[in-house]
Amino acid sequence: MDDRKSVGKLPSLVIVALIYLFLYLPILILLIFSFNTAQFPAPWSSFTLDWYRELFQSSYLWKSFGNSLIVAISATSISLTAGVGLIFYAAGGGKIGKYMGMFYGNLVIPETVLAVSLLSFFTLIEIPLGLTTLILAHAVLGLGFVIPIVYARYKELDYTLTEASLALGATSLQTFFKVTLPLLRPTLTTTALLVFIISFDDFILSYFCAGSSSQTLSLYILSMIRTGVSPMVNALSSVLLFFSSLLVLLFFSIKTKARFV
Amino acid sequence: MRLTPSTKRSRSKLPFTRGESHLPFTRGESHLPFTRGESHLPFTWGVPALLWQVIFFYIPLAFITLSGFIKISELGAFDGFTLKNFTLFFTPTYLKVTLASLLMALTNALICFAIAFPLAYYIAFTGRKYKNSLLFFLIVPFWTNFLLHVYAWFYVLEKHGFINTLLMKLGLIAEPLNMLNSLFAIMIMMVYYYLPFMVLPIYSSLERFNETLLEASYDLGGNFFTTFRKIMLPLTSRGIRSGFFLVLIPSFGEFAIPELMGGDKKMFVGTVISQYILGEGTGSLGAAFTLLSGLILLIVVVGLNFFLTSILKPRMQNG
Repeated sequence: MDDRKSVGKLPSLVIVALIYLFLYLPILILLIFSFNTAQFPAPWSSFTLDWYRELFQSSYLWKSFGNSLIVAISATSISLTAGVGLIFYAAGGGKIGKYMGMFYGNLVIPETVLAVSLLSFFTLIEIPLGLTTLILAHAVLGLGFVIPIVYARYKELDYTLTEASLALGATSLQTFFKVTLPLLRPTLTTTALLVFIISFDDFILSYFCAGSSSQTLSLYILSMIRTGVSPMVNALSSVLLFFSSLLVLLFFSIKTKARFV
Repeated sequence: MRLTPSTKRSRSKLPFTRGESHLPFTRGESHLPFTRGESHLPFTWGVPALLWQVIFFYIPLAFITLSGFIKISELGAFDGFTLKNFTLFFTPTYLKVTLASLLMALTNALICFAIAFPLAYYIAFTGRKYKNSLLFFLIVPFWTNFLLHVYAWFYVLEKHGFINTLLMKLGLIAEPLNMLNSLFAIMIMMVYYYLPFMVLPIYSSLERFNETLLEASYDLGGNFFTTFRKIMLPLTSRGIRSGFFLVLIPSFGEFAIPELMGGDKKMFVGTVISQYILGEGTGSLGAAFTLLSGLILLIVVVGLNFFLTSILKPRMQNG
């Protein structure tokens, strides 16, 4: 038994190392070239921080970064508030199980189909495309994550705690805010992070529903890729990688802590 | 009278009976007599979520379904209903596009599965000690804008990129290979982007998998293949199936990766849809093609689900 295990270990380690090499090789090359004086495809010449300087001075980039941030924060707040509202009703004894099926579709249909439908819909009811339409669209995507995840966690909660609170004379409202909501907090935070990053990195919905006036970061990167390669995009990549590493770290620390609560 | 409350009390003491459906009540329903039945918290709070979902999900979907059937006059006004938008697509060209998308989505799901299973297995068992770091490094690229990864792969696959430089320095090739704007480049990017969608569900079902079952199988004389086929696959079939569909469904409609990595030569379902929808006056055609391809995808998904369930299900008899 032990023989088999140790023999099996080495090849699997090699496979895993190769998979991570596949995941990180492009990223590493990208990061190295963000410090290169010459533009790609020229080979490595000398070290510079110029591209980072240029990155932080590009007002156009920061405007689209700001737009993405506005959209992601609004969509996250809307879908989280609406989702908690539904759970709030359930916590009082309302049965929301029958509504759950309504929300699974958001993740099941291809995002392109959702984007295309929303675009036609916005055109029909004459809402001008822009940040508003983008927020509306991203919030729908967010609801598809928030409601199933939070409801699943809510069902797992120990109902005796709610019972105890009610039996000891707390009102339904007090019970919700002092018992149910604190118990759901880790799940709500991780779901918020998930929805935030999905919205922030989203490309398909932005491509269809943003219109020409408001640009998000994804659309900005797309236009940079199309017009020609500039090492500024490399510098942007390393900034964004750092940013998402922090978010993933936050996500993980909440998840592991929540296990012990 | 005493019977019901006592059942309930015993249920809350015994956590392992939780969630069993033969009990006469469901979670979320109050056990206390004074809150049973009607909710004490108002339904109004639940309304925004439901309303939002109906207005911005179901109505647009219904609208696009309907708009596939309408005829637009030359002035751009509504001009009755028609099936012509659909029949236009029954040509070999569009059949080929749909088949190409299906083939690409299936290949992508299979390659992702072949890579994801060993990786998920390693994270869940062999490398369990480094579980958190391994998952962290898997998710970080996944949580970074995917266009940056497209851009990063240019550096690897370009004429003067990493692979060509490496191969030429090693003397394996004399002329740089053209790797961009090809099916190869599209597939690399698809696998790269969709891999975590496959790894994470498989990992979460492996995490709950009882490893002693494998030992039991080996001790009873099962070899690696039998154990994998008869114990591992059936017990992780849920994760495998969700991974499969999480990869398959979005890759079928994918339009950004084929367009950016494949140049404009290769046409896929997503490319056709976006061109028609964004084109001037071709919205109904785009809607019709969206519906048709969605229907084909639905049929494939239902069929595949049936197939996967039957090949992954446990078999009791020998051989």
